[in-house]
Amino acid sequence: MPSSIAGHVGRWTLNQLAIGARVSVLMVETMTWMIIAPLRGKGLRFKAAVEDFVEFGVRSLPIVGMICFLVGVILALQSSYTLGKWGANRFIATLVAVSALREMAPLMTAILITGRSGSAITAEIGTMKVGEEIDALEVMGLNPIKYLVVPKFLGMLVAVPCVTVVAMFIMIFGGFFASVLVVGVDPSIYIEMTTDSLVEKDLFIGLIKSVFFGIAICWVGVYRGLQVEGGAEGVGLQTTSSVVTSIFLIIIVDLVFTVLFYFV
Amino acid sequence: MMASNDPFIAVEDLVVRYGDRTVLDGVTFEVRQGEVFVILGGSGSGKTTLLRNLVGLMRPAEGRILIKGDDFTAMTEEERIELRKRMGMSFQGSALLESLSLADNVALPLREHTALEESTIDIMTRIKLELVGLGGFEDFLPSELSGGMKKRAGIARAMAMDPEIIFYDEPSAGLDPIVAAGIDELIRKLQETFKLTSVVVTHEMESVKLIADTVCMLKGGRVVGIGSLDELQQSDHPYVQQFFARRPDDDQSSESEYARALTGLE
Repeated sequence: MPSSIAGHVGRWTLNQLAIGARVSVLMVETMTWMIIAPLRGKGLRFKAAVEDFVEFGVRSLPIVGMICFLVGVILALQSSYTLGKWGANRFIATLVAVSALREMAPLMTAILITGRSGSAITAEIGTMKVGEEIDALEVMGLNPIKYLVVPKFLGMLVAVPCVTVVAMFIMIFGGFFASVLVVGVDPSIYIEMTTDSLVEKDLFIGLIKSVFFGIAICWVGVYRGLQVEGGAEGVGLQTTSSVVTSIFLIIIVDLVFTVLFYFV
Repeated sequence: MMASNDPFIAVEDLVVRYGDRTVLDGVTFEVRQGEVFVILGGSGSGKTTLLRNLVGLMRPAEGRILIKGDDFTAMTEEERIELRKRMGMSFQGSALLESLSLADNVALPLREHTALEESTIDIMTRIKLELVGLGGFEDFLPSELSGGMKKRAGIARAMAMDPEIIFYDEPSAGLDPIVAAGIDELIRKLQETFKLTSVVVTHEMESVKLIADTVCMLKGGRVVGIGSLDELQQSDHPYVQQFFARRPDDDQSSESEYARALTGLE
C-alpha cells in the first residue's frame, strides 16, 4: 500500500514537472517572438494585436462596467450595515474607494475577462489545433507562436489594465450612487472623502495586479488551447479547465500581491 | 517521366517512435525531381506519420531526410522556415484558417513572407484560385464551401508561394468519386504544368492508377514494395498482392481464442 501511494505521488510530481516544463517553453518562445524577434527586424503582427485588444478590452467594457457598478452598490450598502451603527456612514466613501482600487476592480475585471476571453482563446486555438490549422501555419513557415500567441498576449497585456482603470471609476460611482440615494450621505462629503482617501499607491497596486492577471489569463488560455487532443470534446474539456485554472491562478496572484503590499 | 538523377528527397533508415511503439522502422526511399510519388498503405501503416516527418512536423528518432541534398532533420528553425517557403502541403481536412476568407487564406503566406504590394498579392491570389477552379470564390469563408472545394482551396494555398514540391495528405478521402477524380486530375495537371514534384499519401487504389509515377507501399511501418504501379502489381509480397486484390485478412482465430478474447478469461 505505501509503495502504491509513493507511486501516485511520484507520477503526480513528474506530471506537474512536465506541465511546468511545457509552460516554461511556451513562455520563453512567446517572449522571444514578442521582444527579441521584432528587434531583429522579424516584425510583429501589430494590427492583429490591436484587433485582439479591441476584442478583449473594448468589447468587454459593457459587461465589466455593469458588474462593477453593481459591485460598487453592494460594497456601499454592505459597509453601511456596520458603519451606520456608529454613525460613520461618511466612511463608506473611503472603504469603497480603497477596496475598489486595490482589490475589487482588478479582481472582477480579471474574472470577467477570463470568462469572456480566456475561454475564447482556448476554444479558438483548440479548434485550430483539431482542424490541423496550427500544423498548416507551421508548414507554411509561419510560427504559430508569432502568428497567433504574441498578438493575443500583447492585446491582453494592455487590455486588462485599461479596463481595470475604467472599472475602478465605475465601481466608485456605484458606491456614490448607493450612498447618496439609499443611505443618504451628502454628495459633497462623499466626493471629498473619496478624494482624500485615495493615494497613487492604491491605483498603482491595482494596476500591477491587473498586469499579472492579464498574463495569467492569456497564458492559461493559450496553453490549454495547445493541449487540446481529439475533437470537439477535447476543446470543451480544455476550455472548462482553462477558466478554472485561470481563476485559481488569479486568486493566488492576488493573494501574493496582497501579502506583499501588506508589509510594504 | 522527366527526371534528373539527383533525388529531390532521399529518406534514409527513418525510425519514428511514439513512446515505446515503433511506428516507422527503417524506411528508405528516394523521390525523383518532378515525379508523382505515392505513399500507399492501409490504416495504421504509418503513412501519415511518414508525411509529418517529411514536412518537419515531427522529428524522427533515427535516420535522415535529405531535401535536395540538405539534411532536413538537422536544420535550425530558421533554415527550416526558409525551406518551407519552397514547400506546399495540402491537408486531409484542408486546414484552411476558418476565420479568413479564401482569398486571405491563399494570400497569407505571400503577405507574411514577401514584400509584395497588396495589389500584386491580389492578382496572384486570383491566379491561384483560378488555377484550382475556384475563380470568383475569393470572398467566401471556408465554412461556406463543400468538401471538394475546400480541398481545392487548400491546394491553392499550398501553391501560393510557387513551391518546388507539394505534399498531399489523403487528397481524395471523404469525397465522392467524381469530385475525387477532379482532384486527381488537378494533381496531375499541376505536376505537368509546373514540373512540380508531388508526394501523395493515400489508400485509394483508383487515385493511384491515375496519378502515380512511383508507388511506395507501407505495411506496419516498413516499406514492402516500391516501384511503378506495374512493377508493384508483379510483386510476390503477400501483403502487396492482398492489397491489390482487396482481400480481407484471413480469420485465423479459433472459437476458443475468440471466446477468450471476449471474456478475458484464461
